[in-house]
Amino acid sequence: MGSISFQRVSKYYPGKSIVRALENVDLKIDEGEFVALLGPSGCGKSTLLNLLAGFENTSGGDIAFEGFPVSKPGPDRGVVFQEAGLLPWLTVWNNVVFGPKVQKKPREDYEARAREILTLVGLDGFHDALPAQLSGGMRQRVGIARVLVMQPRALLMDEPFGALDAQTRLNMQQLLLDVWQRLRTTVLFVTHDIDEAILLADRVCVMSARPGRIVENIPITLRRPRSIDDLTSPEFIQFKARIMKELRSHLAEH
Amino acid sequence: MQQGASVPADIVEALASAERRARSARRRRLLLGIVLPLLLLAVWQLSGRNGTLFGGALPTPERAFHAWWAWAFANPSPGLNPYLGTWFDTVIFSTIRVAKGFGLAILVGVPLGILVGWSRVAAASVDPTIQLLRPIPITAWLPITLAIFGIRDFGAVFLIMLGAFYPIVINTTQGARDVEKTWIRAAQMMGASRLDVLLRVVLPAALPSIFTGLRLGLGIAWTAVIVSEMVAVKSGLGYVMWDAYYVGRMDIVIADMVSIGLLGYLSDRLIVLLETWALRWRRIQSFNG
Repeated sequence: MGSISFQRVSKYYPGKSIVRALENVDLKIDEGEFVALLGPSGCGKSTLLNLLAGFENTSGGDIAFEGFPVSKPGPDRGVVFQEAGLLPWLTVWNNVVFGPKVQKKPREDYEARAREILTLVGLDGFHDALPAQLSGGMRQRVGIARVLVMQPRALLMDEPFGALDAQTRLNMQQLLLDVWQRLRTTVLFVTHDIDEAILLADRVCVMSARPGRIVENIPITLRRPRSIDDLTSPEFIQFKARIMKELRSHLAEH
Repeated sequence: MQQGASVPADIVEALASAERRARSARRRRLLLGIVLPLLLLAVWQLSGRNGTLFGGALPTPERAFHAWWAWAFANPSPGLNPYLGTWFDTVIFSTIRVAKGFGLAILVGVPLGILVGWSRVAAASVDPTIQLLRPIPITAWLPITLAIFGIRDFGAVFLIMLGAFYPIVINTTQGARDVEKTWIRAAQMMGASRLDVLLRVVLPAALPSIFTGLRLGLGIAWTAVIVSEMVAVKSGLGYVMWDAYYVGRMDIVIADMVSIGLLGYLSDRLIVLLETWALRWRRIQSFNG
């Protein structure tokens, strides 16, 4: 359940000079593994996620989810977008039950779970609020809740906390750690924040740009369950030093 | 939001006085707004001789008002004077035509606009036709409409529909085209079918543009109803206006003009009311950052 494999995946964009967004990317993610894709902006990490989500088609290579080729978006791969991407005319509640509703699930199958998940992400008492009435952090909580309610077998998160202030980002990282500790879903997490990648992931894949490819796989062996206190532990600093060295050496190549 | 701690009295007073000032400024603006129309009416009224201007061509406002009063409230005389007590019926005839034509324009324009804005195939196959027909003014459609439908209601309704259709379809198309990609992707990710995406994402996202189209379309609908009633049917405000002109009842012409303006204004307010209700989600502002 939830295994992901990219095999020699390439993505080119047409233009005056062809953009090689991704070239021959190989990546295997095991069931229940939390993988962070780390790299500078424009290295194709979001493209990789969009391909797996089924939002875009590959130019070459194969992507498989649970052994089957990916062809279109679906609720088995829940996507959390950078700016939450909530439907602004729907209340928090209606945003969260949008998935089960369009999938024509019977109410009793999801209503209790939706309530439970909204409590889990700390949005009790905000069911009737509109997205415009929420802060960025709260909006992203809704973005996570609406995905969790579908019980996806993988979570694809595209810089979900990138637009938040530092304090809120820490809160959200802790929230995600707690949620993941309970659910243990496969996660592909795109970020350009080194701390975030180490704190959350079992493995950090460092990407480089033009052509976008994965240049390093670094297993993060920090003990679970983790918390934001780990950000200052000696082991954490060691991982950070190693990844920064990695990134610097690839920067030097360009 | 902060609660509990009491706000110092001088700050409360300062806030209250600022609010009072804003309110009186609003009242002053409202007063300023009605000065010009009152002035124009007064000049018009005072430059009249024996209730008319320009050698009898233009009645004074007072005379036009009296004519309207009789047109609206006097007992209808049997057959002789059509301008006694027939105003309400006349208004209803025109309003029903506008409602029918405008309703049909919405029924055709909104779904078509959504489709053209959403699907490249629909855009390629329909949009050029719309753009080619659009420059033909509805007045140019009059002869062919009369030839096909004769002096009957549907001719007028057809012209109104045609006039209102263009702004509705064009604005709806624009709205459907500009939908945020993330909203569509999010819906697809949550398992929405193509129809779900259209009805639950594209349509609500396009509503602000649709309402712009509706307001423009309704304005054209009132133009179209007057024009078509002048030629294509024998009732309604447009018919009465032309008829009154022929028999030299310029006071009725003026009363008729004001009636049209009033109806146009009121129906526009109705759409705005509907818009405010349907788009509540756009006006609500963040209360915590």
